[in-house]
Amino acid sequence: MIKSEADSERTKLEREISELRAALNRKEQCLRDLSSTVTAAARAQNQSEGNAMKSQGESAHTKLNKDDVARYSRQLILPSFGVQGQLKLKNSSVLIVGLGGLGCPAAQYLAAAGCGNLGLIDYDDVERSNFHRQILHSEARCGMSKAESARIALLELNPNCEIRCHSRLLYSQNAMHILRGYDVVLDCSDNLPTRYLLSDACVMLRKPLVSGSALKMDGQLTVYSYGNGPCYRCIYPVPPPPEAVTNCGDGGVLGAVTGTIGAMQALEAIKVIVGLGDVLAGRLLIFDGSSGTFRNVRIRSKRPNCHVCSAQPIITELIDYEIFCGMHATDKNNPMQMLAADERMSVEEYREKLQAQPHLLIDVRPTAEFEICQLPKSVNVPLVEILDDGYLKRFSNHLEDKALPIVLLCRRGNDSQIAVQHVRNRFPTHFVRDLIGGLHAWASNIDPSFPIY
Amino acid sequence: MSTDGPVVNVHVLFFAKARELANSSRSNVDVPTEIVASDLLDQLVSRFGLTTIRDNLILAHNESYIDNLSDSILFKEGDELAIIPPLSGG
Repeated sequence: MIKSEADSERTKLEREISELRAALNRKEQCLRDLSSTVTAAARAQNQSEGNAMKSQGESAHTKLNKDDVARYSRQLILPSFGVQGQLKLKNSSVLIVGLGGLGCPAAQYLAAAGCGNLGLIDYDDVERSNFHRQILHSEARCGMSKAESARIALLELNPNCEIRCHSRLLYSQNAMHILRGYDVVLDCSDNLPTRYLLSDACVMLRKPLVSGSALKMDGQLTVYSYGNGPCYRCIYPVPPPPEAVTNCGDGGVLGAVTGTIGAMQALEAIKVIVGLGDVLAGRLLIFDGSSGTFRNVRIRSKRPNCHVCSAQPIITELIDYEIFCGMHATDKNNPMQMLAADERMSVEEYREKLQAQPHLLIDVRPTAEFEICQLPKSVNVPLVEILDDGYLKRFSNHLEDKALPIVLLCRRGNDSQIAVQHVRNRFPTHFVRDLIGGLHAWASNIDPSFPIY
Repeated sequence: MSTDGPVVNVHVLFFAKARELANSSRSNVDVPTEIVASDLLDQLVSRFGLTTIRDNLILAHNESYIDNLSDSILFKEGDELAIIPPLSGG
């Protein structure tokens, strides 16, 4: 009795706290919006009054103050970096595209090192599945724009850093305008259309592009559009077909892997700005986290017939990169429509008509994902085993019975369609369906307590 | 691999999607001591099931990108080939 009262009191308090927190977030957002409007208006006025302005609206710093010296002492005493390096960094402006697994550590090291101006672009909001690798965001800022959330964390780290947020999707119509104000661009994005867009825009604006990427246990890093080095298109003139591209949401990734590459992006950006060491251009760094090895592969110099960066470019303004790549500029999944409506089944229909009847429920997700959560009575046959017919032997008894319905499911209802096509070709007279929307639909329409990932 | 002339054994390293498709991170293959890069690529693609990424990968010989697929490549015993498709996640 007492326990249940305590539980309901706890729930009530937790709800009130989260409502207050949301209200606080909204107020803080209003305050930030107001300050940035005031700053922008002041800048515009200064400019119209003809004051001498630098691109960022500030005059160049020529001296380090007392706080700078104390704060950056450990890097100031590096002979190759020194006061001149610190001043270059203080006067620099870096744009970080994507505040995810790569962008968070990259932004963190750049802000901490004293980069004077940072621009942050991300259209997305913070959610729980980000925390394991996107280490600037916090529980309290769930639901906030990632750029804003990162800005708050970065200012805590270094209040001297001037940070501008662009909480929107970068695309052909706004890219040139946004990129123009920065010295160096970091590609910390998670999708191919944005990678081609950034490469083309950086060639056109002659900005170095520090490009990092990571998936599973692998990472890659190089600097494009730097010196005589190539651009992304010189290396990959045509994008791979969408089915050959895996994103972190589907393939998974370890936070320490994105962290490794993100930190190295910050390092390359600092080298570019300060003019330090050998910039990783014309070479591709390949990181294999599972064996703990780094490799450097010499990549080509500019492709003489590159459509964008050669002497006679064919493409001289930005194109539609989603069409070019045949996929969206987000890592959100696009539902596939391979099967006709009558070859599929809604989760509601399954629960009402079939769940209590004898049937074979096959979950085609990889085993690691099946172990996270599964529907009652489902058996796990990963899609690869469906496609290579490895499942036939295991279910030979069941499959002999033509009256036994076969239902295939997966996480979102894409792979299950591929599985239906394959199974139906082999058993044309059986009843074979997949669940529309997969486990995500199950969690949202049938059982809200079902874990989704 | 199908060859007529002298062959040497080389290491092939697979990265990212190529590792997934080949179902292995490394392999050894016999290659002719001299072969046109695009023929070599076609043989690797068919042997290791890399059709979907054939046109979107870096083929590196001894850690150097093969610039031009119509060039002839000269191999010595123990040389290293790397197949590196782009990664786009982050």
